[in-house]
Amino acid sequence: MTLIYQGITLFVVLLIVWHMVREGRLKEQIEAALVLLPLILRLLMIK
Amino acid sequence: MSPDPETQKARSYGNRWTALSLLAVVAATVFLVAQEFRAMWSDPPIYPGPGVTRQARLGDYFPGLAGTAADTDVYFLEGAEAGGTALVLGGTHPNEPASSLTAITMLESAVVARGRLIVIPRATQSGFTATDPQEGFPQFYRIETPEGMREFRYGGRGTNPIHQWPDPVIYVNGSGQQLAGPEVRNLNRSYPGDPDGYLTERLAYAIVEMIRQEQVDLSIDLHEASPEYPVINAMVAHEDAMDLAVEAALLLEFEDIQIAVEPSPANLRGLSHREWGDATDTKAILIESANPAQGRLRGATNEALIVEGVDRYYTRAGELGLLYVPFGEAGSPMNERVGRHIQTVSTLLEVFSTYNPGRTITVENLPTLNEVMQNGLGAYLASPGG
Repeated sequence: MTLIYQGITLFVVLLIVWHMVREGRLKEQIEAALVLLPLILRLLMIK
Repeated sequence: MSPDPETQKARSYGNRWTALSLLAVVAATVFLVAQEFRAMWSDPPIYPGPGVTRQARLGDYFPGLAGTAADTDVYFLEGAEAGGTALVLGGTHPNEPASSLTAITMLESAVVARGRLIVIPRATQSGFTATDPQEGFPQFYRIETPEGMREFRYGGRGTNPIHQWPDPVIYVNGSGQQLAGPEVRNLNRSYPGDPDGYLTERLAYAIVEMIRQEQVDLSIDLHEASPEYPVINAMVAHEDAMDLAVEAALLLEFEDIQIAVEPSPANLRGLSHREWGDATDTKAILIESANPAQGRLRGATNEALIVEGVDRYYTRAGELGLLYVPFGEAGSPMNERVGRHIQTVSTLLEVFSTYNPGRTITVENLPTLNEVMQNGLGAYLASPGG
């Protein structure tokens, strides 16, 4: 179950990274970076 | 006329290189923040005193707990003479630090002459690895000893969600009590536990198994609560332990220590004072002291508030008569909270021994409240490094 959860989290992280790279607006990129922080901590099961 | 999309994009200052730069910042931030969180994953040392005769793990009593993040240390202080057995459970709620600290002080300083004392200082071991979100709690606090500062963790109320997730919307515990979802990680709502249940229920089951297997006569669960909570500076006793608690309260009153006695509600299920008493032959008592760091009225939430217990908003609330404990300029310091717990436990052991001469439990080297207030708690803790 934990692996499924981590898999879903990884998928969302990759989508956000993909969005960041394609996105031309700096404001959107910064917002995406802020969203990534807790997601990555969760993906790594740190917090 | 508005600019075309290409022009708009050019004006937005973002491109692939800004994205990669931001990703590098995210990676660096994750690395630094992770160090902070991971600092809570290792246990600050406990130094067993001369009274500790052996050490076990809770998982020894229930293999379903062994090797999990909830397994925890169990310390035995055994006397030369046979007698009864008492359990002191600290750290049920790691955000109630006087609980764990009382247990640590006892196992580092107490010596048992007769009978046995079992001490668990970090009952919710997993809860010590993270603080509760949105509370602003410091991760650590320190107590001054004669030879330096000792560091302890201030954890969250329940099992770390990393170790047990997801929370249900409504938690129905083993006794059928309906509770809010996050209570599924609260040890003191999970008794008598379930060997096939959530991690916290397995932890509760292991504790009840230990009480059964070790034939514990008297079980004491140490807690703290906010000063505006009605059951504070109090003992909550199962009906089988009510006489014991009342007589102990009277003796404490002679020592100028006011402590209320509350009956364990028969319809409030899942709590230690109810389920330990119903599920085993032990006499179950829960003790509360006043921790302003837990309260909703508190101001700055920092190490000083945890250790010194001084908060001007609580002082004002006390002046207005809004609290259930006296709360003056001196606040509710850790010395007082731990001192109260230790003297209450000592008195309970004394009363129990008086009425059960064949099951006497004689514990020496435990300080009184006055001694802790005069000398400081650090005088009864081991020095840093042991």
